[in-house]
Amino acid sequence: MHTLYIAQRELKSYFTSPLAYVVICLTQLLLGVLFFLYRGGFWQVDRATLDRLFEYAPYGLCLLVIPVITMRLIAEEKSTGTLEMLITLPVNDWEVVLGKYLGALGLVLILVLSTVVYPVAMFIWPWKLGAIDWGPVKAGYLGLGLMSAAGTAIGLLISSVTRSQVIAFFVTFATLFTLVVLLGVGGEFAAKAGVGTVVTFLSFQSHMTNFARGLIDTRSVVYFLSITVFSLMIAFRALESRKWK
Amino acid sequence: MSTDVMIHADRLSKVFGSYRALDNVSFEVKQGEVVGFLGPNGAGKSTTMRILTCFISPSSGGAKVHGHDVFDDPLEVRRSLGYLPQRAPIYPDMTVWEYLEFVAKMRGLDSSTFRKRMKKIVEVCGLAQSLGKDIGTLSHGYRQRVGLGQALVHDPPILILDEPTSDLDPNEKAELIRYIQDIGKDRTILLSTHNLNEVEQACARAIIVSKGRVVADGALDDIRAKTGRVRYVVIVDEKNALKGSAPKEEEVRALLAKIKGVVKVKEIPTDDRAHGFELAGEQDGDLRGELFRAFVDKGWILLELRRDAQKLEDVFHELTRKDERLTRGKAAEEEEDEDEGDEGEDEDNENDSGDRDRKG
Ligand SMILES: Nc1ncnc2c1ncn2[C@@H]1O[C@H](COP(=O)(O)OP(=O)(O)OP(=O)(O)O)[C@@H](O)[C@H]1O
Ligand SMILES: [Mg+2]
Repeated sequence: MHTLYIAQRELKSYFTSPLAYVVICLTQLLLGVLFFLYRGGFWQVDRATLDRLFEYAPYGLCLLVIPVITMRLIAEEKSTGTLEMLITLPVNDWEVVLGKYLGALGLVLILVLSTVVYPVAMFIWPWKLGAIDWGPVKAGYLGLGLMSAAGTAIGLLISSVTRSQVIAFFVTFATLFTLVVLLGVGGEFAAKAGVGTVVTFLSFQSHMTNFARGLIDTRSVVYFLSITVFSLMIAFRALESRKWK
Repeated sequence: MSTDVMIHADRLSKVFGSYRALDNVSFEVKQGEVVGFLGPNGAGKSTTMRILTCFISPSSGGAKVHGHDVFDDPLEVRRSLGYLPQRAPIYPDMTVWEYLEFVAKMRGLDSSTFRKRMKKIVEVCGLAQSLGKDIGTLSHGYRQRVGLGQALVHDPPILILDEPTSDLDPNEKAELIRYIQDIGKDRTILLSTHNLNEVEQACARAIIVSKGRVVADGALDDIRAKTGRVRYVVIVDEKNALKGSAPKEEEVRALLAKIKGVVKVKEIPTDDRAHGFELAGEQDGDLRGELFRAFVDKGWILLELRRDAQKLEDVFHELTRKDERLTRGKAAEEEEDEDEGDEGEDEDNENDSGDRDRKG
């Protein structure tokens, strides 16, 4: 129960500041550009797929949305002191961590789901641009959801070890940049050294391509979930460590 | 340990890095006690309170609140107390009502109990017209009121308040003190403050800490007596005298300093028709006769002569003096010698010319 109250409060607080609205509008705008203008727009692709959405969404999510949303989670509470008020209520530390996590993940998922507008508009109503294979779409969204879960957990972890939102933003950005971009590129080089599969496996992108093809690979699910659980556990430890400093 | 001990701190120490913020702090607070927790800045009051509310853990020692151990059962500890942290940090993006509702939900209050409690809280904290306002837009004092409301919302048996009155206006201060006196009959309240008048009004007992150690703990009267001194107030007419000329300030000071048993002379502000002095003398003696005779001999007109207990403030200065000097960068050795002689006998040389006069 405590977890839900905290999550609820967290999610609500995003909407009392302009942050949530700005991020949502920006995302929709970028997606619009992506679909209709960039590289000749969706119309140039002769197949009816959402490949492009799933190809670019990870960049937007990991390099902008998640760092912005998670940077304040615990860092802000530490620097303003509200953490003391929150934690001295009868709550467990893990409830605080989980509640904050769910609140932030809630907003990220609202964003992810808001992009459903595009496939619906293009293939169901008002335009019927031909039959689309819904399998990859569903799998793709599952992939985005799992990736968001992992990315948000990483952001929360980083926000829990610093008091500065700016530092939290940049470290989260750098970490996710590594996972999404560097490891993808690095995989190609590493392949020559014979460790290509390992490096590629660690990159977010490689898992996302599977999902976008409609492939739900258990290894990918486990990959994202273990990052999530692992990050949350460290965040919990980081929060707990205040007691001993 | 008897059952009505509500807060039990047992040899608490807390080390931050290499800095020892608390050093073997032990005390007990029983049910129905309102205890003032005093000490200079950085003495370790907030640190102690944070340990008692399980926000941080002690480096060594332990504590029990309402019979629950802070290590083993932090949730039960927090359930049984209401806590107002220093400076009342609250989420600025919520309205007062939303915030208090959030706290009530987290504390497991159902909504009808919450509404009932809110009536009382609005009255005590004076929040009637602020319930719909964003906390971020409130003045400091109002934020502190909300913090208080938050600590009181579940009507806890134990209250731990860290400088609850620091930002309040005199009206609200008085209201809070009244409320504390009222609920203090069957609750347990540990209250830190720098305002010693409040302590004299609201508390029967005080604990004074300095540099992480407890330097006094007991009933206010016992603490006042702790320096072994009493205070005299002497006010002399400045314009008239029965014989000779009207006394000058230095003359009065010199006379007072010469009287045997007077250990400290300090001028106190009065209107421009009188000289006022505050003296300290031994606890068991009474210098009033002496003083009166001295003034009669001179033919000066005594407007007021009073003997009473030391003010809490004086005791506070006295007990924290050594640490205070260290923080002001005064040499440590110099005071060691002075203190050797007679416990609490001498007072700072700098603001005490009477001392010098006496020697000269
Ligand atoms: N998190 C921390 N890290 C390092 N030092 C700390 C920390 N918290 C407190 N201290 C130190 O511990 C000492 C006691 O601090 P504390 O806040 O308990 O003092 P206080 O008695 O509440 O003072 P004040 O009257 O100014 O509120 C101070 O010297 C402070 O610098
Ligand atoms: Mg303090």
